[in-house]
Amino acid sequence: MAETDALALGEIAPDFTANDSEGNKISLSDFRGRKIVVLVFNRGFG
Amino acid sequence: MTQLRQDYPEFEKRNVQLIAVGPEDREKFAEYWITEKMPFPGIPDPRHRVADTYKQKVDFLKLGRMPAMMVIDKEGKLRYQHYGSSMMDIPENSEILEIIDEMQKGSQEIPVS
Repeated sequence: MAETDALALGEIAPDFTANDSEGNKISLSDFRGRKIVVLVFNRGFG
Repeated sequence: MTQLRQDYPEFEKRNVQLIAVGPEDREKFAEYWITEKMPFPGIPDPRHRVADTYKQKVDFLKLGRMPAMMVIDKEGKLRYQHYGSSMMDIPENSEILEIIDEMQKGSQEIPVS
C-alpha cells in the first residue's frame, strides 16, 4: 500500500501515549467516548 | 499558542479536549508551558514520535515543523485535518469551533434505521 502524507478522514485516528509537560501519561484513547479532541502540532516556540 | 490559551474557554464550554504537541525537548517545553500558564495538556515530542504518527510535515529547509491540527470525534475518528503550508498557516480558532459545533449538532440527530 502506498504511503500517503496525510491521514484518512473518517478513519480511526492513530492512538498515541506520551507524557505531558507535567509527566502525566496521556493517551488519545483516554478521551474516547468522552470528549472531542483537538490535537495541535506546533511549529516550535521560536 | 497564546490564541489557543485565549480561546480555551470556548473549547472547554463545548467539552472539547485540547492537546498540543511540540518538537522541543522536555525541559524547554515544560518551561514554556509553565511560563505561559497554558491551561491544557502539552506534550514535548523531541523525537517526533507523535508528530510522525500524525504525519506532521517538516519544513523544506528542515528548520522546523509546519503547524498541523486535527479534530477527532468521540468515536476516535479523524474528522478534520489541517496541514499548514507555511509556518504561519494555522486555522482560525473560530473555524475549528464551527466544525466542532457542527459535529456536536450532528451527534444529536436521531439515526434513521
